[in-house]
Amino acid sequence: MYDTSYPVRANLREAHEQAWQLIAQPGAFWSGAQRVQIVQEARAALRCSLCERRQEALSPNAVQGAHDTASALPAALVEVIHRLRSDPARMTRSVFDEALAAGLSAEQYVETVSVVCTSVVIDTFHIALGLEAPATLEPQAGAPTGQEPPKVVDGGAWVPLTAVDVQDGTFGLPRAPNISRSMGSVPSAVALFFLAFRPHYALRDIPLAISQAQAEFIASRVSALNECFY
Amino acid sequence: MLLRASGERDGTAYNLSAVTDDAADAGVPHSDLIRGLTEAAVRHDAAALATLREAANAAMGEQQTVDTLAVAAAFNGITRVADATGIPLDANTQQTTASLRVETGIDGFDYGAKSARYDGVASAAGA
Repeated sequence: MYDTSYPVRANLREAHEQAWQLIAQPGAFWSGAQRVQIVQEARAALRCSLCERRQEALSPNAVQGAHDTASALPAALVEVIHRLRSDPARMTRSVFDEALAAGLSAEQYVETVSVVCTSVVIDTFHIALGLEAPATLEPQAGAPTGQEPPKVVDGGAWVPLTAVDVQDGTFGLPRAPNISRSMGSVPSAVALFFLAFRPHYALRDIPLAISQAQAEFIASRVSALNECFY
Repeated sequence: MLLRASGERDGTAYNLSAVTDDAADAGVPHSDLIRGLTEAAVRHDAAALATLREAANAAMGEQQTVDTLAVAAAFNGITRVADATGIPLDANTQQTTASLRVETGIDGFDYGAKSARYDGVASAAGA
């Protein structure tokens, strides 16, 4: 990864390589082959004519049709992947509800979110540096691993959140921000995404050549572009 | 909201309207270049990225250019995690950013409001 003259930080490169390998391994609820196909499908969303027509519509839900797919994944899963990749600003509760109604479990949904979003980080950084997005790896054989049920709670999100003591009792600050709890129903999904994300950013004393304020401005602009309320 | 916290920490009043107002200057060094790189990265605009990387290399140096793009890439992913899970604001953020969210228009991104807006439009269109 990152065959470039640009000074890509070693810890970021290593983390992305590890995350890429993890995606190709069986997850808790999807096989390695399915996880690789999720990445391929996320990339296909960028060339999908239905997604393009939906982006031009007042509401994405007002345009029906079939996605231009790159895999044999179930239609309900393809819908989640394409919506999340091509039009995150207009992800709505109905996307989640319809996925569950079509037979996906909440845990499969969460693992999908993790794989898609991890690939978005890696692909975006490659493309931003003028590089081709990396080739997907040959998936490892094997069924999904399953998992021990984690401790989760209804925290007002669409999905269950990791159970934590919300306040630390000293400064009134959250012990764990909701973003880190959001995929808590699948701990391996949390681990995968933050493996790729962590070298890019820190809330304080950011270990980069740009200032904390510059980093927050970038973060805020992306949040606005993707209409991220959080 | 992160930019606001950063300003509070370093005692600088950053222009928070620059988060949602393309014409506003945020007050951070190389604001225009950073904004351009960020938007081109999120939109995968290869042509704009090539031009902006060259300009940024000259003005900021390669490492700052790379780090700008690294932060943009990271948030292009993590904002989707939030958008896909509908998480609420953390309680302290909810309490301390009410006026900021109104000022910048961020309240319009509330997941409950977006679901009502877009799902409601679809219902009306299908009626």
